[in-house]
Amino acid sequence: MGAPFPFDFPLPTAFYLTLYLATLVIHVAFMNYVLAGSAYLAAFAVRHGRDSNRLTDHPLAGPLRDWMPFMLSAAITAGIAPLLFIQILYQRQFYTANLLLFHRWMAILPVLIVGFYLLYLLKSRIIGEASFVWRIVVGCGAFACFAFVAWSWTENHLLSLNESAWSDQYASGRLFFRDPELGPRLAVWFTGAFPTMATIVAWQWWCLARLGRPVPATANQSCTRLALSGLATAIASAAWYVENLAPELRDQLVSSAYRPYLAAALVGVILQAAGWLAGRNQAGLQRGRLVLISAGWLLTVVGVSVLREGRRLAAIDVTALYDLHADAATVGGLAVFLVFAALNAGLIAWCLVTVRRGVRNQAP
Amino acid sequence: MPDSLVFPYYPINDFGPAMKGMVIGGLGIFHVFLAQFAIGGGLLMCYLEWLSQCGKSPDARRFVDNFFKLLVLISFVVGALTGVGMWFTSIQVSPRTIGLMVGEFHWIWAIEWTFFCLEIVSGYAFYRYGERLDDRSRLRLLAVYSLAAWFSLFWINGILSWQLTPGSWVETRNVWSGFFNSSFWPSLIFRTIVSMTIAALVACVVINTMGALDRAARTVLINQSARLLTPMLAMPLLGLWYFASIPADSRAWALGANVPMMMFLVLSIGMSLMIGLYAVFGLIRQKLYVNGATATLLCSLAFAATAGGEFVREGVRKPFTIRETLYSNSIRRGEVEALREKGSVTDDPYPLRHADALPSDQLRLGAKVFRFQCSVCHTLDGANALVHLAGAWSTEQKRVNIARLQRTKTFMPPFAGNPEECEALVQYLEWVVADSPTTWPVSDDRAVLARIQQGLQEAGTQPGEMFTHPARRESR
Ligand code: HEC
Ligand code: HEM
Repeated sequence: MGAPFPFDFPLPTAFYLTLYLATLVIHVAFMNYVLAGSAYLAAFAVRHGRDSNRLTDHPLAGPLRDWMPFMLSAAITAGIAPLLFIQILYQRQFYTANLLLFHRWMAILPVLIVGFYLLYLLKSRIIGEASFVWRIVVGCGAFACFAFVAWSWTENHLLSLNESAWSDQYASGRLFFRDPELGPRLAVWFTGAFPTMATIVAWQWWCLARLGRPVPATANQSCTRLALSGLATAIASAAWYVENLAPELRDQLVSSAYRPYLAAALVGVILQAAGWLAGRNQAGLQRGRLVLISAGWLLTVVGVSVLREGRRLAAIDVTALYDLHADAATVGGLAVFLVFAALNAGLIAWCLVTVRRGVRNQAP
Repeated sequence: MPDSLVFPYYPINDFGPAMKGMVIGGLGIFHVFLAQFAIGGGLLMCYLEWLSQCGKSPDARRFVDNFFKLLVLISFVVGALTGVGMWFTSIQVSPRTIGLMVGEFHWIWAIEWTFFCLEIVSGYAFYRYGERLDDRSRLRLLAVYSLAAWFSLFWINGILSWQLTPGSWVETRNVWSGFFNSSFWPSLIFRTIVSMTIAALVACVVINTMGALDRAARTVLINQSARLLTPMLAMPLLGLWYFASIPADSRAWALGANVPMMMFLVLSIGMSLMIGLYAVFGLIRQKLYVNGATATLLCSLAFAATAGGEFVREGVRKPFTIRETLYSNSIRRGEVEALREKGSVTDDPYPLRHADALPSDQLRLGAKVFRFQCSVCHTLDGANALVHLAGAWSTEQKRVNIARLQRTKTFMPPFAGNPEECEALVQYLEWVVADSPTTWPVSDDRAVLARIQQGLQEAGTQPGEMFTHPARRESR
């Protein structure tokens, strides 16, 4: 392994890896919003008890409650694209893990449906007028659903990497897979979700401000506090994760193929921290600062996603899969896909512009 | 040659008393119903919004806003997730089938995905801001939404119809010849009409819940929505076109050669007919009012019709999941020969779950063969149970009929193992029929194995042919 990832792989493999990672990053953005957002709302309901409903203009709980159902739709839809590419890249690994976890794996679907309706319930008038205990139940219930889903994806991922465990796992009929990496890995995903969520909420307030909505005075501070504590705990979790990793896996992450990505992730963290810290005492959320933070976020998430792939590739013999990837790359349809991707991206932009114009015209 | 075959074995789960096909069919019904509701709903709302903007329907706008909320609440949530669910279920039932489909059609799915994205953005935009938009933007946003929804049908329809009628793809492996296959257009048009039907019927239910409108206003809305039922008149013709486009043996299963399948088909047609007659005579010609209970009943009929249709669609592909290519039990057509020599489970790395309960290695082998080759369509003593189907057969009948499986019933694949495996399977079935005693003699008579070998050879390794005359078959 000399050249940086993915240049050491044959073209088809590198191509599908790139597509997988690019689409996974989109999934991560929305999924983080849902995971951290539902955790925040659950904690908020517990902490503010009876008052939690009167605080509708809370700088975080307000937009979170309002946007959560849409963000979940987006997280699910965005998840479909990496789900497609993972089946080309690691078909046997992914399917086998799915099959071994069986009901436990399939459970994520009803759980997501329940979580979805709980989110709608959380923003509905019914729950606003109900006893605060119900708000706690619904808030914590929604978070439990998404935590379960995150746990399932991580468990499935780890099982897919551990071929030597497959046969035993099957024979035992167990529906859970225990792995020393599971805890620290989930901790990284969970804590890392908060900076993402804070960044997206900050952008939401920025947009609302441009549309003339009053922004609460504490919006900047709340986002900053949440993002910085998320970054700090994510770094601690990452350290815990690396410490639990087998030495040869650790070596892979600092090999020349992955070193640039490790550096990118760290630089990204610094940019994010700098962006948040620089404006922590300011009243508003300035665009320049948000762009800096988002750029840092992108560097971090791309870096971490590639490192995550490095950990996977250290566990499986990818050379045995080259032929399958090359075979997949021979089928037609890519050009048509690109045409429709451009067209539909254009239509999506048109929808957003139309809505913004409409809302502006109606603004008082 | 046999040694070079590296068969991708997957762990095979036990679905209890259910057949795997039932599981996917069951979820499929919900998904298809909801997805078609979303597609038809888009079209219906475009139409009503247009009527409202032309001044032809004073209450249509209020209805559109109401109906859209329902659409988002139901179809965005459950529709989207049952879609992912279909994918996950397909993996559970037949990883190799979905794997092959993804391999061949991933760009089609990627295209469909861009339409999903458009669908949720335009849909959510309308849901959240529709009431604040001007007329032109509203109509355009709705049009974009329904176009996106309909196109997701367009793309997935190509892949699903390909499974039954892959046509010249089998030789060319060209994506587009697979996609625009012979049943593509009839099933696309058929499903579009079904979508409009479902949406119109659900609309009748929703209109009944709009207490703020008086009965006259509701009747107008109902009759306007019911116009989307008119295309149902084309259904019989489309059905004929569809049946003409599918393979002769599949057609024969549905039209009587397989009794349960025919029953589902009759159910489906019967329900559709009832809806159609009510629609044409009651709603469109007489402009009758339909109350909430009747509307709900009509919706249930539509659901039953969808259910019947989906079972038939899943059923008539047998013995393939991808015609001419991949058998339902995940064995490729070209692999049978190699597996017959090597043994179908010789390399299967997954142990039996309750190996200790079986008294001998031969029975353990038989259980593995059952799991690998038969369990996708049969259970031992639940649905489509082998104990019931073959329980009364003599040992020798079992041997003969399993060795020539594709001729015993042409909707079964050829047996894909060696004679020892066939005998092990026969012994396993006998043992189960005998109520699983703790001891069981090993059967290793050479003459028996030789007879099985002869049966296998006579049956050949190709799929059974329903329409070849037996005499011609023998002379081959
Ligand atoms: C593609 C699905 C499929 C597979 C795979 C399959 N079968 Fe069948 N089999 C069927 C169906 C459907 C029937 C008909 C049931 C009925 O008539 O009610 C059937 C019928 C039978 C019968 C009764 C036949 C008769 O003439 O009454 C036997 C025995 C049988 N199967 C054994 C097997 C064995 C053994 C295997 C595995 C080696 C197997 N099947 C694999 C679908 C399948
Ligand atoms: C709110 C719901 C969801 C949450 C919280 C969530 C969370 C996660 C997490 C934590 C991971 C990383 C696993 C790891 O690396 O250890 C992940 C990966 C992934 N998710 Fe999601 N997810 C959600 C919904 C979905 C859905 C519905 C889909 C599919 C449509 C999806 C598709 C994927 C894919 C394909 C991966 C990569 C898996 C791999 O590489 O092994 N996710 N998700």
